[in-house]
Amino acid sequence: PSPRNVHFVSRNLKNVLHWLPPEGIPEDKLIYSVKYLVYGTTRWIQDAECRNISQTWCDLSRGTSDHKELYHARVKAFLNGSCSSWTESPRFNPLTDTKIDPPAFALSSAEKSISVIVAAPKTWSRNSRNEPNYLHEIYPILQYNVSVYNTKKKTQEAVTILLGYILPVLLTVLIILVSCCCVYRYIHITKQKYPTNLVRVLYYPCSIDKCERGNLLPSEK
Amino acid sequence: CSISMNIHEIRDGFGTIKKVIQARDPIRTASILHPHSLHNFQILDSCCLARSILRFYLDKVFRHCETGSLYINRKISGIANSFLSIEKKFRVCQDENMCNCGEEAINKYHQIIRNYEQMDVTLAAMKALGELDILLNWLEAY
Repeated sequence: PSPRNVHFVSRNLKNVLHWLPPEGIPEDKLIYSVKYLVYGTTRWIQDAECRNISQTWCDLSRGTSDHKELYHARVKAFLNGSCSSWTESPRFNPLTDTKIDPPAFALSSAEKSISVIVAAPKTWSRNSRNEPNYLHEIYPILQYNVSVYNTKKKTQEAVTILLGYILPVLLTVLIILVSCCCVYRYIHITKQKYPTNLVRVLYYPCSIDKCERGNLLPSEK
Repeated sequence: CSISMNIHEIRDGFGTIKKVIQARDPIRTASILHPHSLHNFQILDSCCLARSILRFYLDKVFRHCETGSLYINRKISGIANSFLSIEKKFRVCQDENMCNCGEEAINKYHQIIRNYEQMDVTLAAMKALGELDILLNWLEAY
């Protein structure tokens, strides 16, 4: 079986190929070999640092440093003298497939101003002694978003929300509840007594049920 | 001839189908646009070459890229519409004589057509579509 899931992981144009070992084979005995190809050319190139390696990744930054080109890579596994077939990576475009780190920045404040000094992240460079490239030399339209977080304003906003929205809503709900409660008590709980100044007036002739329904009128007293 | 292009929008649309489209292109050792030669191209003739390549995609590529997936087809037609609106802007430039074609642009364009015609039509169209990020990188620097 062949290596699986061969893919590039790139950060600030440091392009590292990763893969998974073949299934069902003890990893410690496996050896890998990696080649890469500039898309559109015919020669697969063997990277010297990625030959007969046991780890499941390899740094191909040097070979893929021309960020205007596109690349494919492939990996083969060796075990006890026998080898697997190649597994290829999807096409890799350094310019669009790399993840750019946030820029480094420094703050300095004056009386009425704050100045923000932003430095683009450094890209991978062939050797550390070289002056590193900066991403803005590669991405002509590298843009920065600077946002300011005002903690004081935040507390004012909180107070406004509390007094402006939460409290009035709570008060309204409370008033509604109290009035519903009073109405309910008035209707259902308090015992209804007839006012003392009313007397029952009976009309004749009356049968038994009509008498009970006679009207109540205020007495002359 | 400065033209505003919604490259970011096109790149987002293409980004969602890129892996699928490029996986349908088995030929690694041949390219239609050839990124390096495109990037090293003479700035003077860029306008003409850009317009010709956009025309090439509209006439020869998008119409042969029908897939079985409605989602992918919709994304492809969205990209085609964006190309159409950009190409119209280039045409205005050409009408106002700000987009003339030099010999180098014409040669480069013919090279692209030759690369395309060496392959089967559907395969070539899918390969050209898979190379859209090469074109977008170049147009972004335009």
